Amino acid sequence: MNGKLSSIIIICLAMIVSCLFSPAATHAGVKTVNFALSGNPDTLDPHGTSGTLTFQTLKSVYDTLVEPDPTGKIVPALAEKWAVSEDGLTWTFTLRSGVLFHNGDPLTSKDVKATIERIQNKETGSPNANEFAPIVGIETPDDLTVILRLKAPSAPLLGTLASGWGAILPKSLIDSKHDFAQKPVGTGPFKLTEWIRDGKIVLEKNPDYWMKGLPRVDKVIMHIIPERAVQVQGLISGQIDISYIIDREDVPLLTSSPDVKIKKSLTSLIMVMAMNCSRPPLNDLRVRQAINYAIDKKKVLDVAYGGGEPIGTFMDYSNAYYRDFTNLYPYDPAKAKKLLAEAGVGKDTVLEMFLPQNYPPHVKAGEIYQDMLARVGLNVKIKLVDWSTWIGDVYRKARFDLTVIGHTGKLDPNGTLSNFGIKEKKYVRWDHPGAAALIAEAARTTGFENRKTLYDQALALMAKEVPFVFLGSSYRRVGIRKNISDFRMTPSLDTFDFRWTDIQ
Amino acid sequence: MIRVIPGDPALTVAGVDASESDIAAIRAKLGTDKPLAAQYGQWLLDVFRFDFGHSLTSGRPVTQLILERFPLTLSLAVLGIILSVLIAIPLGVISAVQRWSFWDYLGMLFSQAGMAIPSFWLGILLLLLLSIKYRVFPLFGSGSFSHLVLPSVSLGIARAAVLLRLTRASMIEELSREYIITARAKGLTERMVNYKHALKNALLPVITIAGIQLGYMLGGAIIIEQVFSLPGLGRLFLFAVYQRDFPLIQGGVVFVAFVFSFINFSVDLLYSLLNPRIRIT
Repeated sequence: MNGKLSSIIIICLAMIVSCLFSPAATHAGVKTVNFALSGNPDTLDPHGTSGTLTFQTLKSVYDTLVEPDPTGKIVPALAEKWAVSEDGLTWTFTLRSGVLFHNGDPLTSKDVKATIERIQNKETGSPNANEFAPIVGIETPDDLTVILRLKAPSAPLLGTLASGWGAILPKSLIDSKHDFAQKPVGTGPFKLTEWIRDGKIVLEKNPDYWMKGLPRVDKVIMHIIPERAVQVQGLISGQIDISYIIDREDVPLLTSSPDVKIKKSLTSLIMVMAMNCSRPPLNDLRVRQAINYAIDKKKVLDVAYGGGEPIGTFMDYSNAYYRDFTNLYPYDPAKAKKLLAEAGVGKDTVLEMFLPQNYPPHVKAGEIYQDMLARVGLNVKIKLVDWSTWIGDVYRKARFDLTVIGHTGKLDPNGTLSNFGIKEKKYVRWDHPGAAALIAEAARTTGFENRKTLYDQALALMAKEVPFVFLGSSYRRVGIRKNISDFRMTPSLDTFDFRWTDIQ
Repeated sequence: MIRVIPGDPALTVAGVDASESDIAAIRAKLGTDKPLAAQYGQWLLDVFRFDFGHSLTSGRPVTQLILERFPLTLSLAVLGIILSVLIAIPLGVISAVQRWSFWDYLGMLFSQAGMAIPSFWLGILLLLLLSIKYRVFPLFGSGSFSHLVLPSVSLGIARAAVLLRLTRASMIEELSREYIITARAKGLTERMVNYKHALKNALLPVITIAGIQLGYMLGGAIIIEQVFSLPGLGRLFLFAVYQRDFPLIQGGVVFVAFVFSFINFSVDLLYSLLNPRIRIT
């Protein structure tokens, strides 16, 4: 019996010992950044999804005609320069010469034309096709000139061309129906060489990149790690160099490590509690105002979202179009009770609050809202729903009284504000033709100052009529090993930019 | 059935900013604009041709997606079951032979604890201890044997606890049978009685349960894959449900059902090898 037992023990030990030899050492001289990605992109086709993870990955593989610089200003990228005609209907882009795709094809105006046509093609099923609808004609007089003909002036188009879904693909592969969803081929700073679904994505330096001397590292490995705790531990132990989803709770642990620094910046998120303005009693302005008075916004922002800057209207705090309306509805429970009494709303009214269960911060915020509203005598019932249900029932069909969500920022304010004020177009069902007209006019107007005057008025109307409780823009915390420099995130788009990243 | 629950895959693909016309185009591309009955009929027809369709979110063949992930989950489950058998059978036998001894109490304590500890929690503890404090095993990633050790240990312990109890009970039952008395009366050594006679018969129910456990372990792998960041079947199906990727969910259900029946069938075959009295006719 002892013989048998001990042989089993020996086998077990041998198994364990054999594992000790595996940890892979990085090759000397190859600069590799180990990055923690929180989920698996569904597809790598920039024209086939709206998923943030896809664009975050593809930012390194593709380029766009223009792109936002670190301040959010739109600057040349694949297009060296561009000009818009007096009437705003003709946009002429001059492409950079000598740009190569990863498959060796040189970039020409034909590629740009084929790409835009691919997005507009119904068979592609791009969720962003509508943003390209103003383009009615594309001309390619020579290899480096692209002329876009518009049916009406469109200020937001430049933002669209700078976004991830404006990625330029090579014509030859579009024509041969290349599987872009699996094997992206672009002009970007890195080539995608390996993708193990739910495992890792390997990006290797493109030596022919058009920005001289960039990228600075040879390799970026995106490890797909869904558990935040594992990311944090990987950062401390050095198996991970960058993690972009650090929670405030993890900060003390990370700052106590000598090798890790934390970079805090403001996100372009607009955190809100949305109210369905078509349902009683929320169709009564006094009730919406009362709810706004009842919420201690700073507190919700701190407890649920790890801090941030309060906003008083539907625009992210760091946006150039932002205006401060935060003093319109300060925290004042007594006033809230008074308004509710005037509107005749009491304990017998039940409001249903739908919370997306896949976003724990929104769920936490919802619970705090519920508690604060209970204190002024409002009866709120929480319902947890999964993301598909939220998008389908709550967002598209407006089957809710209250819901908590964060809207991602957009490069152009039209992306943030379009269709607000048109009752059936937005989930808050806010009906205000005046505001809708201002927003529509701003989309046709050129020039920052001219547009800002119009958006200011629209934002003021939203701030007063409160279809939402406007909470604020939250902070983002990125944990980085101290030997890593210059990791950037694209403003508003929240994509990762490794071009300047280096290892000391 | 799953289509009755709210949620539209086209909307998940489209996100919050897409316009109505974009959504219609996506629905047409995915084929979810057709009536439900037509979609199901088409799917059934395709299944008979071993075509499970394409995933709605990634556009890739369902069969390919599943087969790509299956080896990892299978090796996790098999390693887990091997480990649990290696722990459970020796401990169970000792517990039964030396009832109420120190070893018996130790075994019982282990099985009590193993059943009570959730495997994901054990997984996190193992990660903390063996990947962070002592860096014996990698914290994340996949591809080598060392990546599989901790997850299969965390899966195996809970299963070992169940198997240990079963082995002990089954062994005790066999030891009280009359043929054991005969064996002893023949003058066989205690060793021969325990291992040659009792154990062989006691193992039969243990193998049945171990086989079924293997099936369940494929399910248990879902949570473990999440903890250990492993690209296995569990995560594939979990996200398929989140994103209402119907062809992938349906393909997954059929596949898991197939694996389950295959395991059960193999266990039945194994029976006849171990016990000649059971013949497959």
